Amino acid sequence: MSKSLLIISRQAPWAGPSAREALDIALAGGAFDLPLGLLFLDDGVFQLLPEQQPSALQQKDLTANLQALPMFGVEALYVASRSLSERGLSEQPLALPVEQLDDSALSLLVDRYDQVITI
Amino acid sequence: MATLHLLSHSPFSDSRFASCLRLLGPQDGLLLSGDAVYALQPGTAQLQALQLMPDSIAVYALDEDLQARHLPVPERALAVDYPAFVELCATYAKVNSWL
Amino acid sequence: MKFAIALFAPAHLPSSRRALRFAEAVLAGGHEIVRLFFYQDGVHSASSNAVSAQDELDLPAEWRTFVEQQKLDAVVCIAAALRRGVLNAEEAQRYQKPAANLAAPWELSGLGQLHEANQLADRLICFGGH
Repeated sequence: MSKSLLIISRQAPWAGPSAREALDIALAGGAFDLPLGLLFLDDGVFQLLPEQQPSALQQKDLTANLQALPMFGVEALYVASRSLSERGLSEQPLALPVEQLDDSALSLLVDRYDQVITI
Repeated sequence: MATLHLLSHSPFSDSRFASCLRLLGPQDGLLLSGDAVYALQPGTAQLQALQLMPDSIAVYALDEDLQARHLPVPERALAVDYPAFVELCATYAKVNSWL
Repeated sequence: MKFAIALFAPAHLPSSRRALRFAEAVLAGGHEIVRLFFYQDGVHSASSNAVSAQDELDLPAEWRTFVEQQKLDAVVCIAAALRRGVLNAEEAQRYQKPAANLAAPWELSGLGQLHEANQLADRLICFGGH
């Protein structure tokens, strides 16, 4: 039985390489068929906004890569509802099908995984 | 499955401390290292937040970081050295570093 | 107990030193290190080219000595390394870059090695940030 890994992505999409490198860990794990989850927390929720234009910053399209996650077998996608509301995003349609979790549900989510990486 | 959370950023200039506290389960542990030990600074809302957590949540601080900063260890926290840090990682089911 | 240790910070940040002191304590405590995996800015902790003042800590040298003496499996993520300009001789040659700054005992490899280490280990401990 493979150990499961939760990746918590906390950085905004264009803050540096963290958002992309957190995703790379998820995609690599998915390619090996490992049980993975991805939680967007704090500024990480900004990765989920639709209609971003990374080309304006000469960056690669993170959204397209995030949307590839199910193809790599990573479908357990979560977002912290408090992080959304703090940033005025509670009513905002998001670019990915993510399950919204409140603080107590987040704690239970972390409990369910064998390992966690918070980037 | 209790988790040991590792913090190493200042709780004053960074949001990791606050986010971590909201995520803690009742049996989890918190280990402060680097500038995160400033959360033990007396007279702060951050120390108060730690003191208000249930006693079931253990708070540890890396001794070298306390010594370097000449910070006292409040009752709420236990100073640990590296061997104790290693054993805590073995005792808790998993470790979550807030990188 | 088996530990996988991942480092995300360069040698000049305290978390790199903290990771090394922790790794030493892991072995001193009779535990095993399955793999060291350097990712993100952690690739800089493996640089051959850092120069420390005589009276200052030479952390890259300490990492190197530790890995060599303990015969540890020490992997630097190749994608993270390339984009940060950390290259061994083979990659420097491949990409026609003027210099190599990564050498043995470090090996360049992919994120699969991090995942494999996690599966083999009882505990994954990450160090980084500050």
